Amino acid sequence: MSPLWPLPALLWAQWRSFVNLRAGESRAGRLLPAALALVWYALWTSLALGALVLLSKPARAELAVLLPWGLMSVFLYWQLAPVLAASLGASLDFRKLRIYPVPESRLFAAEVLLRLATGPEMALVLTGAALGLLRNPAVPAWAPLTALPLYVLFNLLAAAGMRGLLERAFTYRWVREALALALVLIAAAPQVLVLRGPSGYLPLLRLHGPSIYWPWVSFGRLAVGWFGPQDWVLAALWSTAAYLFGRWQFGRSLRFEPAAARPQAPVRPRRSMGGERRLRLPSAPLPDPLGAILEKELRSLARSPRFRLVFLMGFSFGFLIWAPLARRPGGFSENYPVLVSVYALLLLAEVIFWNMFGFDRAAASLWFLAPVSFRYVLAGKNLAGAVLVTAEVTVVLAVCALLGVPLHPLKILEAYGVALTLCLYLLAAGNLSSLRFPRPVNPEHSWSRASAGRLQILLLLLYPALGAPVGLAYLARWALDSEAVFFALLAGAAAGGVVFYRASLAGAVRLADRRKEFFVRSLSEGGGPLLTQ
Amino acid sequence: MDPALDPAQPAPAIRVRGLRKLYGDKPAVDRLDLDVPRGCFFGFLGPNGAGKTTTIRMLTGLAQPTAGSIQLLGLSLPEQALQIKCRIGVVPEESLLFERLTGGEFLRFVGRMYGLDRSTAAARAGELLEFFQLDGAPRKLIADYSKGMRKRLMMAAALIHRPELFLMDEPFEGVDAVGARMMKDLLLDQVRQGATIFLTSHVLEVVERLCDRVAILNQGRLVMEAAVRDLRNGAETLEDVFVRLVGAARSPDKLDWLG
Repeated sequence: MSPLWPLPALLWAQWRSFVNLRAGESRAGRLLPAALALVWYALWTSLALGALVLLSKPARAELAVLLPWGLMSVFLYWQLAPVLAASLGASLDFRKLRIYPVPESRLFAAEVLLRLATGPEMALVLTGAALGLLRNPAVPAWAPLTALPLYVLFNLLAAAGMRGLLERAFTYRWVREALALALVLIAAAPQVLVLRGPSGYLPLLRLHGPSIYWPWVSFGRLAVGWFGPQDWVLAALWSTAAYLFGRWQFGRSLRFEPAAARPQAPVRPRRSMGGERRLRLPSAPLPDPLGAILEKELRSLARSPRFRLVFLMGFSFGFLIWAPLARRPGGFSENYPVLVSVYALLLLAEVIFWNMFGFDRAAASLWFLAPVSFRYVLAGKNLAGAVLVTAEVTVVLAVCALLGVPLHPLKILEAYGVALTLCLYLLAAGNLSSLRFPRPVNPEHSWSRASAGRLQILLLLLYPALGAPVGLAYLARWALDSEAVFFALLAGAAAGGVVFYRASLAGAVRLADRRKEFFVRSLSEGGGPLLTQ
Repeated sequence: MDPALDPAQPAPAIRVRGLRKLYGDKPAVDRLDLDVPRGCFFGFLGPNGAGKTTTIRMLTGLAQPTAGSIQLLGLSLPEQALQIKCRIGVVPEESLLFERLTGGEFLRFVGRMYGLDRSTAAARAGELLEFFQLDGAPRKLIADYSKGMRKRLMMAAALIHRPELFLMDEPFEGVDAVGARMMKDLLLDQVRQGATIFLTSHVLEVVERLCDRVAILNQGRLVMEAAVRDLRNGAETLEDVFVRLVGAARSPDKLDWLG
């Protein structure tokens, strides 16, 4: 047996998984990800070139200050990338390999190598950095050639451990949801920087460089050849720590039993009585089957992490992302609640409009088995959408009030009016798109795309068209400077929305009848509840 | 002399003593003692939640016992886990398939994990795919397989290294009648050649027809172990015994609105 066994087989399986992930998609479906990948790697290549140019300049003292920041960013990226790769299914689940006669040390070696495959961007950037340092006359050639490969190994070992740790933590739903929201909020960090202004932070970074005990400082100083003996000691200690951490966490993950991690105590009711009442309230005045469908939808969506994430994003991420506009003079601050409400509506759109049967997956066939007209099914789902949009706008306005954003009564009316009018148009189009482009969605997956690739492209055209009637009302207000004209046109847009909605509902019912088989088959593929994964 | 202690006798295929598995405070398997002789087709029965799958997971090393000892083919688990894994074939209830590989790629991969060289792994993979009628769509990903196809693929993967002991959790679940018949014939043939099979199934007729011995587990405890031949000689069928031991008969009176 080869001394490398079974590394080639594992790397081959990883490679085939990666290739097959894309091979199953249609040509059109592959085009968009390929274009995005091209842009993505072009961006990282330009960063690598930037590192090359920057690190070629012969100022060793400056390099020793600058490089650790770069190496720290590399470290952070490398630790998070495996988690995202695992959620995309492009990483082998080593727990599935426990039935085979492979020693744990070999599996760990394979895992460490695979971490390289999940952070190729960082390998690219570090190659650029190494080439820059090699071109730098002030840096001895051996320094980057020794320190940077060691830093890569340190990152791979730590990433192997981090992946194990996060993977186990992610078996707890609340951890998954909290992290997803945290990542989303981090994405809005540049907006906060814009608010404070870069001058507020950069001096702090310059004054308080990272402590010399951090690994990126030791490896950075080694890489520029400007080091003391303590840097070698610290680099060795950090590498050993990374190995021990990686091995420990990998072993724990390999033997991890999700069943043992679940609480064994008697199951408590999922919600308080208040929560139960809130979920039943909107459907209480409605007769069945409409009431039953509405209640089912509200319960299902409230328990879906994916829905909860976009709902939370509406009044958290939405606030941060539009925050710079709120500070601008010239009326933006008073339009801020409306802007955030509309943005929140668009965030919800993918879950509650465009693919509204996605979470039902194979169970959607029940709608055709039950003795209920499909018109009621769509109406029930649409009512749930409208209730949730109203709830979202209410929360947005409440947060606005808490943060001291000016809330004129007319602006409150405008926020509800605009959001619900747009909601009518989106529901009308969503009923048709949900039947034409059905796609199963796992409600547990906070990140995966909910609607089909073709629909994503179509939406680029649809959004402006569907928003046009409301846009017309705003245009009139801007041109005539009249609130009365604005609200009159908004009411007209709403009336047009009702007509459009009724027409699309009838069309969707006919479409459901015609495309029943395709619809059920599409929702039963891949993510259906019948499958074991 | 107890044949189990006779050094001239080969060790049983499976020997379990005082096996226990706790999830929190709740025992999933409780002080299980079991011997499965070599060359035996052994059926392991029990209602849902009885601890069958947990037992198989412990026997395959997928779960750590809280207490007790396990010996497979005379080797101790977990001390000699690698030697054991080389000699057993597993069809677990959970999917241990890599969804983004095709059936052929997966079998070739598994063959190489068992140390077969590439050409042998590829040749056996091709033959197994053909035998299990999975060769019709060679480019189809496992993610698109039906439940029956997945079970057949797991069975094929369990055979690729010619194991001596098979541990199978509901191997026929979701498999059509033709596929199930094919799998049963193959397993009987393996037993005739000296292999040992330990399987769980909910279909009592299948167990009664295939197995030499059966054990019934209820709430983690072993409530019966007997030769199927002895059961046949009695007045009760396996189903009667099973229902008597694990299930209180339920009266349909409570659903009087159905009447």
